[in-house]
Amino acid sequence: MLLEARDITMAFGAFRAVDGANLDVNEGEIIGLIGPNGAGKSTFFNCLAGDATPTAGTIRFAGRNVTRATPEEHALLGMARSFQVPVTFEDMSVADNVMVGAFLRHPHRHEARRAAADVLAFTGLATLAETRAGSLGTPGRKRLEIARALATEPRLLLLDEALAGLTPAETRLAIELVRKISARGITIVIVEHVMEVILSLTERAVVFHQGRVIATGAPRDVVEDPAVVAAYLGHHMKRVRL
Amino acid sequence: MSETDLPRNDNANAMPAPAAPPTAVRPVAAAITLERIVTVVGFALLFAWPLLVQDVFWQRIGALVLLSAISASAWNLLGGYAGQVSVGHAVYFGAGAYASLVVYTDLGWPPIAGAPIGVLVSCLLGLVIGTPTFRLRGHYFSMATIAAAELLRILAGNWPLVGAAVGLMGPPTPRSIADLSFISPLPYHYLFLGVLIVLLLLTWQMQRSRMGYYLAAIRGGDRAARSLGVPVLRYKVYALLLSATFTSLAGSLYAVMVGFADPDSALGILISVKMVITAALGGAGTLFGPLVGAVILVPLEETTNAWFGGSGTGITFIIYGAIILLITRFQPGGIAVLWRQVIARPQRSAAAAESASHAA
Repeated sequence: MLLEARDITMAFGAFRAVDGANLDVNEGEIIGLIGPNGAGKSTFFNCLAGDATPTAGTIRFAGRNVTRATPEEHALLGMARSFQVPVTFEDMSVADNVMVGAFLRHPHRHEARRAAADVLAFTGLATLAETRAGSLGTPGRKRLEIARALATEPRLLLLDEALAGLTPAETRLAIELVRKISARGITIVIVEHVMEVILSLTERAVVFHQGRVIATGAPRDVVEDPAVVAAYLGHHMKRVRL
Repeated sequence: MSETDLPRNDNANAMPAPAAPPTAVRPVAAAITLERIVTVVGFALLFAWPLLVQDVFWQRIGALVLLSAISASAWNLLGGYAGQVSVGHAVYFGAGAYASLVVYTDLGWPPIAGAPIGVLVSCLLGLVIGTPTFRLRGHYFSMATIAAAELLRILAGNWPLVGAAVGLMGPPTPRSIADLSFISPLPYHYLFLGVLIVLLLLTWQMQRSRMGYYLAAIRGGDRAARSLGVPVLRYKVYALLLSATFTSLAGSLYAVMVGFADPDSALGILISVKMVITAALGGAGTLFGPLVGAVILVPLEETTNAWFGGSGTGITFIIYGAIILLITRFQPGGIAVLWRQVIARPQRSAAAAESASHAA
């Protein structure tokens, strides 16, 4: 077991954004977190990444308790993430953005540069290496965030809606990239709204609703689950049938 | 698609961009060569300045430019590279200046011997002020640093050990060479130039190393930096300590040259503001930006002071206000960005010519 989240609760006053959620992630898996808006996916996700400390529950990563660890400790242990709204370093070039990630495992400039060049080639950003990150569009930024995260050489990659807001063609390319990353043996947890992505990419989907996990299983089965249909897909499917 | 569209390519995922044409390399190399020539000529001028001008007024301005460049470059380490805009760096400048004059007044040592003590005090003050204020972001951080500096200014004005409101004086006549008290500005010029070169070399090394990248990442955004394993607080403290060390040295050198410090001239808010404006005018977060800013601002200030006499100090504030307005309105990146645009122009037109020849 690479990641193990037990009874995670995140309360803001009386409101429980996450309410006793559990998640197990095995090494090498691609797992999808889905659920309607406000289901608590992003809050749960931030707890996993160390950006927020849960009110209750424990998170173990690679055998260590990381419930209260800082984001930088998570990075050092091998957990990397992308953000829902990309936060690239605008004034730096694409290559320098990736260098920041590469410095984590390669303290010397030349090694970091070499490692960054590998990641740029792998993610298809090599031709944009000297471009200012601030001049990239949304798809470029999302790709750059993934590249930067990969440069930290993670065991687990957390993607927060990394594919949202892309055109169908861009989505296909992004799915391809996620598959390539997975083929390298990196475990992936992905939060996504687009069902097509979850259905084509993940082996296991975890459905959130009102801060709780209401279903877990193969994406095809989960979609058929009556509880899930009622909570989330019901409206959507009805509309499609009309 | 023309090559000039490349930097604005918004579809990095959808369209793999073609490699830049090899011809684009030559103008870049030319721009780098131009930059090197300007740097070499600039430093040659700095070296030769007190020998080129015989007028003591202008020789003195040369030394003051270098002193201002040292303090602005020191500020730049934290305010420019790490993006933590401190408007309270007078604290460290004052610590250096007072340390030099206190060791002279109370122990009879040459003022320069106070410099290491000033550095030590500055680093301690930096830790005390930095630990709580680094939790604040943006303007809140800047305001907290102003508050800390004003607090120390008022304390110094009421503390007899540092001369309270009257201030402290250096040796009226040099007792030995160690007092570094000269009538000619020339020795100060070369002393300051030496310190500035050491500081710029250190900054250059830092900029290329992991620390340089980490500070740039912190400037770009705390949250993203932390997610990549950057220990944000630790690197902010490193930058502050380095910055405070050299700001304090600038304060000591100022006290050695001028031989006087009081709460306003060593700890006043104008000292902090000058560092910010000097660095921002030339280009915050660039190696030579603060030096360029000092080359422009110091002669401007000194000549207006000379023209208008004692009433000229008011003019200085008006000029600073105007410069702040102009920088924020037209070019927040300072002269460094303008310069980059100028040297990028031949490169862009070369690329345009290239694509035109392809189209033909």
